[in-house]
Amino acid sequence: MTENPIEEVLTLNNVEVVYDYVSLAIKGVSLTVPKGGMVALLGANGAGKSTTLKSISGLLAAERGEVRRGEVKFQNENISGLMPQDRVKLGIAHVLEGRRVFEHLTPDENLIAASAVRSRHDAARNKDRVYSYFPRLFERRSSAAGYLSGGEQQMLAIGRALMTQPKLLMLDEPSLGLAPFLVAEIFQILSRINREEGLSVLLVEQNAIAALEIVSHGYLIESGRIVMHDTAEALKRNPDIQEFYLGGAENKNFRDIKHYRRRKRWLT
Amino acid sequence: MDILLLLESSLNGALVGLMYSLVAMGIVLIYKSSSVPNLAQGAMVMLAGYVILAFSNQLGLPLWVAIPLGIVTMFIIGVGIERVALRRLAGRPIIMILMMTLGIEIFLRAGSMTIWGGTSRPLPLGISDAPLFLGPLLINRAYAVGAGVAVAMFVLLVLFFRTRIGVVLRAISDDYTAAWSVGISVERGVALSWAISAVVATIAAVLWGSVQGVDQSLALLLLKGVTVAVLGGLDSIGGALLAGILLGIVEGLASIVLDPLLGGASRELVDAAMLILTIMLRPHGLFGRHDIERV
Repeated sequence: MTENPIEEVLTLNNVEVVYDYVSLAIKGVSLTVPKGGMVALLGANGAGKSTTLKSISGLLAAERGEVRRGEVKFQNENISGLMPQDRVKLGIAHVLEGRRVFEHLTPDENLIAASAVRSRHDAARNKDRVYSYFPRLFERRSSAAGYLSGGEQQMLAIGRALMTQPKLLMLDEPSLGLAPFLVAEIFQILSRINREEGLSVLLVEQNAIAALEIVSHGYLIESGRIVMHDTAEALKRNPDIQEFYLGGAENKNFRDIKHYRRRKRWLT
Repeated sequence: MDILLLLESSLNGALVGLMYSLVAMGIVLIYKSSSVPNLAQGAMVMLAGYVILAFSNQLGLPLWVAIPLGIVTMFIIGVGIERVALRRLAGRPIIMILMMTLGIEIFLRAGSMTIWGGTSRPLPLGISDAPLFLGPLLINRAYAVGAGVAVAMFVLLVLFFRTRIGVVLRAISDDYTAAWSVGISVERGVALSWAISAVVATIAAVLWGSVQGVDQSLALLLLKGVTVAVLGGLDSIGGALLAGILLGIVEGLASIVLDPLLGGASRELVDAAMLILTIMLRPHGLFGRHDIERV
């Protein structure tokens, strides 16, 4: 190995994922997350955002998916063959879409359950840290998590991921179904954790407006392919992004969308 | 009708019911830690009985050695069942897993029939046949011992589910994928729950074996176990305990009140009625968890 320090915490090279041996979900996705950086992966429903995250966290197997081609490198190490729990141990945390808290457990127990790969001592320390980021969870620590509000559940899902002491935090649509002020609050906390602890973040979002406010770079994925990659500033100014993801279009009709798709196929 | 007879019958019924709870707890344990309704628990009890007898009769070991050996053997068998039969089914539809447990039940029964045959063998614990006297009421000593062990097992399991590892098992039961996502080894958790459940089955086997001998009919305890587990709520250990007492008392009373009218078999009828009514009227049982829906 060369002497230069690891610049990227995560690198995907031409990753191709197949479900059930036949259906191709992502077709050669490449992306990188710099160490301590915040990167967004934007795209519409079914574009392959969640599949990309699962190929990193190793949760594909549970859905009969597999990485057919390409490599997933975490801190310059190929992790393609590892079990999910080994990836968590390395420092990859995946906050699932739809929050997926352990509903019948209390928030406190949710956090304890999430510390399975860490020592008891670390668990106690991490729990204090999570409660300091999310004081509201501490207030509700002993009622069933299923009865928390949507925002609180999202906080718990993030807190649960933090319990694993991640180096890379991946979030799958944390803004889904939340009021705008809650999205702002949660995203602020994410930037704070990113700043204070140097935690790298890969944020998957449909809510491009909110996401582009806090990340430095963004990737745009469509039909399983990365079609655009740029800084957040440039993406915000990009007319296509404005039209299709930021709601900037005034009089859009279906012919325009077709036109856009056709043009994009030429580009890629 | 003699009030004393009714009292005595319901008291003994409650004690027998607690022994049913012991079988039910094995079912609840697996459900609570992996959301799998285990239809093989009856056969596990039967197998454990045969294993202990194999150690004591065929190898000539004393029972106080054979029982711990049986517990260890069943623990390993529990782990093995997960590894061989269930691991590949993780994340698959629950109906497939349910059918698999039914397959295990049939396999264990048929296997033990082949190896040990159908004759009933005694498993003498040395509990005296002489009844205990509680005032004017006669109490079966073996039932009383069994009930005591069931209560002790209940306390142990409740404490276990509060430990860190117990919390992890409950988390697995709630959501496999989310458990994987935070680094929980779901496979190992499920294996552990089967192993502990097999140990509980072994203890049930010792007690039931001493009462009615070891033979294929031990596997029929599944029906009592399922009834009690469903009535108590599939994921509630306390529910299994109380439902056991309830079912035992109802059975005890039914055998006195209904048997003369129907000419027997009223216990089974009462069991069936309890199971069917629970599912019709209160599907999550007396103390089972509701699926949480926020409004």
